[in-house]
Amino acid sequence: MDSTLLWYTTRGAGAVTLILLTAVVVLGILSTLRVESSSWPRFLTTGLHRNLALMTLVFLALHIVTAVVDPYTHLGWAAALIPFSSYYRTLWLGLGVISFELLLAIVVTSLVRGFLGHRTWRAVHWLTYAAWPVGVIHGLGTGTDTWSAWMLAITAACVAAVGTAIVIRLTSGSADPLAAHRITFQSAVDRRESR
Amino acid sequence: MARLLDGPDLAKGAESLQDHTRRLGPVPALDQGFIATLGRTGATGRGGASFPVATKWQAVARHARRDVAILVNGAECEPLSKKDRALMTTRPHLILDGAFVAARVLGARRVVVYIGERHSVASRAMQQAVAERPASERSLVSFEAAPARYVAGQEAAAIHLINEGIATPTTMPPYPFVRGIDRMPTLVHNVETLGQIALIARTGDATGTVLITIAGAVPRPGVLEMSGTATVGDAVKRAGGSIDGARAILIGGYFGSWVDAGSAANLPLDAGILRTKGLNLGCGVIGVLAESRCPVCEVAGMMRYLASESSAQCGPCFFGLRALSEACIRISERGSNHEDLNRLQRWAVDVRGRGACRHPDGAVSLLQSAMKTFAHEFGTHTPHRATQQIGAA
Repeated sequence: MDSTLLWYTTRGAGAVTLILLTAVVVLGILSTLRVESSSWPRFLTTGLHRNLALMTLVFLALHIVTAVVDPYTHLGWAAALIPFSSYYRTLWLGLGVISFELLLAIVVTSLVRGFLGHRTWRAVHWLTYAAWPVGVIHGLGTGTDTWSAWMLAITAACVAAVGTAIVIRLTSGSADPLAAHRITFQSAVDRRESR
Repeated sequence: MARLLDGPDLAKGAESLQDHTRRLGPVPALDQGFIATLGRTGATGRGGASFPVATKWQAVARHARRDVAILVNGAECEPLSKKDRALMTTRPHLILDGAFVAARVLGARRVVVYIGERHSVASRAMQQAVAERPASERSLVSFEAAPARYVAGQEAAAIHLINEGIATPTTMPPYPFVRGIDRMPTLVHNVETLGQIALIARTGDATGTVLITIAGAVPRPGVLEMSGTATVGDAVKRAGGSIDGARAILIGGYFGSWVDAGSAANLPLDAGILRTKGLNLGCGVIGVLAESRCPVCEVAGMMRYLASESSAQCGPCFFGLRALSEACIRISERGSNHEDLNRLQRWAVDVRGRGACRHPDGAVSLLQSAMKTFAHEFGTHTPHRATQQIGAA
């Protein structure tokens, strides 16, 4: 295959991965807000969050595979899987590998959540807050297009989106839209008083 | 071949320990080899999931480092089911035999009997039966009342009530066979399953029967013991009804499926065979919907009930079932419309598998079967002038 095509694909898939991952993270952070309407019940937000995450992995795989098979780079599979083993831009590529592996852990634990238990799953899911910034730094450090105006605009927009989401989440408190319903239900099945 | 409801007239109530032992003889001494017998008979659970009994026993035995507990589940929270109460009220010693066989084989020193708090007749019969047992068995047993809510009969909810006093489902793992009552590996069985085990312990063979609750448009609704080779049509006939006068049959209760009366007639009452057809015998409920009833309103009522029974712990279950039930009710009250029909199709897929327990999955499979079987009615429904009462079949 034409190695120029591969190189463009790597860069394009990297940019798309950043945008998708940002959308996933923003939806995840804002999932505690009560966003719903009669045509958009709340559970669809979490469904979208999950499906976008799976799509992110697809583009990330494309990003990694095209980079490795590109004959021009001579990266090799080891560099794509073992952090900081690359001769080329050791630090920046290593950060990319770490971000990829964190995401992989988050997605895999989510897919087998039923076998894992909620607590373990949740602990692993907190790694999102590491995977996203590490991925952004990887892009800033080694991206071919990083300092072009359009890529700068995308990166800035992504950072702003996640930043805003975090601020909204922190300032809106941890309102649990289920809490009131849960208390109502639990009062019907609670026999602690009578024991 | 021995059957669960053999013996004296059922209307006379509970069979005493003396009569029970005289009729069936004592339970032979059994060891862990009995698990292989259970495996050979292919016995499956009768609480709804039809899980293989031997697999459960093996799992408990494997985790039994210290003490083990047995949970006798007679919560019977399924609104249409009556068979667990019928068995507890008439043949309590069969259930207790099964529980004590399990206790001996697995080395359990605690047996908790969990009965729906409104099932007072059944509860009294079981307490009386325990009082008749020898002290060595009596001392193992304690009773717990199950709150009268749908999810309270689910095994994790039962264990949560026994341990913490609150009957909400918890996330699994840990599974009950790893950590259940007081952190002990716990064998959870429906009361009918234990009755079957008591007969297998004596004969080495499965009874080949299943307890069926037949509900809805039949002259004599109630509990029947049917052979697994009998059909849905046979059960309807034994209840005095006819499948020809029915629009559809609900197989398996609120977590089951709606099937056209014509195609249901020849289905066998065998959980394994039904499963190969994508159906679930569940806890053995067969509901008969008369031609004269409106299926759409019926289904809307069932969905409203199942949504109201979500324990509100998982968002997709609580909000998803609420959205689905509201769409059903809109169709039922205002008439069929494309928007809501599309939403039902789409959202049903989105909700499946998204809860910590199987509550949303059961509700969604009921809805999906209804939308297939009643596709015509859902597509052409117009509101009734006089409000038809919606609710159980």
